[in-house]
Amino acid sequence: MNTVFAIMILASLIMLVVVSPESAFSIMISGASNALTLAFTLIAIYAIWLSILSLMEGIGLSKALNKLFRPLTKKLFKGESDLALEYITLNFSANLLGMGGAATPLGIKAMECMQDGSEKATDNMILFMVINSTSIQLIPATIIGLRSAAGSNAPSDIILPSLLATLISTVTGVILAKICSKLRRAKKHKEVELPKQPLFAQVRK
Amino acid sequence: MSKYILPVFIFAVIIAAFIKKVPVYDNFVKGSKESISLILSIFPYICAVLIAVELFSLSGLNAYLAKIMSPLLGALGIPDELCELLIIRPLSGNGSLAILEDIYKKYGADAYISRCASVIVGASETVFYVGTVYFSTTKVKKLRYAIPISLIACYIGAIVACLLCRIM
Repeated sequence: MNTVFAIMILASLIMLVVVSPESAFSIMISGASNALTLAFTLIAIYAIWLSILSLMEGIGLSKALNKLFRPLTKKLFKGESDLALEYITLNFSANLLGMGGAATPLGIKAMECMQDGSEKATDNMILFMVINSTSIQLIPATIIGLRSAAGSNAPSDIILPSLLATLISTVTGVILAKICSKLRRAKKHKEVELPKQPLFAQVRK
Repeated sequence: MSKYILPVFIFAVIIAAFIKKVPVYDNFVKGSKESISLILSIFPYICAVLIAVELFSLSGLNAYLAKIMSPLLGALGIPDELCELLIIRPLSGNGSLAILEDIYKKYGADAYISRCASVIVGASETVFYVGTVYFSTTKVKKLRYAIPISLIACYIGAIVACLLCRIM
């Protein structure tokens, strides 16, 4: 992340020095104030969703949802606690219904439950992020809204292709993430097994 | 139809809470409080990312990269006009919506390009934003293979999107 970030800023600055050096600083300020505006909007959105969420926990709705999806989430996220699975389920439901505002705080909570205290992301955390970044929305409401505002004759005819494209990208992401975690585990196994062999030979002698 | 889902859902939750004697007001106070502390912890990440994104798109680097990458993307069946959108999509949600609107204006909302662009935006997420915000309250510093795989998956989705728009 540090490298990507530094390269992005450096390359942009080089470009700006050539084109319009005087605007560099004001662009950075406008980026930061975009963040400020976004943060204020998000406080409002999360305040409502986190309230409804804690009500959902209170009436047992989140536990019920968890029970419903557990066969699937348990298989995908092996070895995670019940609480983590509950947040994962809720995050997926919110994403499917297109409630992005609700999905983010849930995703953050799910990540907190999944962390193992180390500085490296676990395989399950990565899988969770991959699924979240391929968007599993059923109906892309924002885009349909934009299309109809732009005067489209059939604004919702993108629903089916979007759904298929999302499905394919999510499945690809899950498969790739699983392959990567298997590869790493295989590598770890080898490292553990190697010192065992001479030991075994010694015992035999 | 879909506009009724949200209010009905919230109504049902509050009614259920009322019946089960879950304190509604207390929970709203608690949720709002949590919201502020959540934003306080994710704001530094959002801010850093958005500064870089703003520099990236306003310096013209984005358009420049799009020009360089267009032959490669063309070979994968993605039209030239969408290169800029594809580059900004994983970085900024608002940025990609702005480009999407430009595309609608330029080509009309029902053109092939516009439909492709809509499906690409609808079937992907702001990968870098998800990566920074989701991990922001954990101790995790190394995301390992998370971002490359997310990007690959999103771009495969984009290729499929262009293909689907041609046949559907």
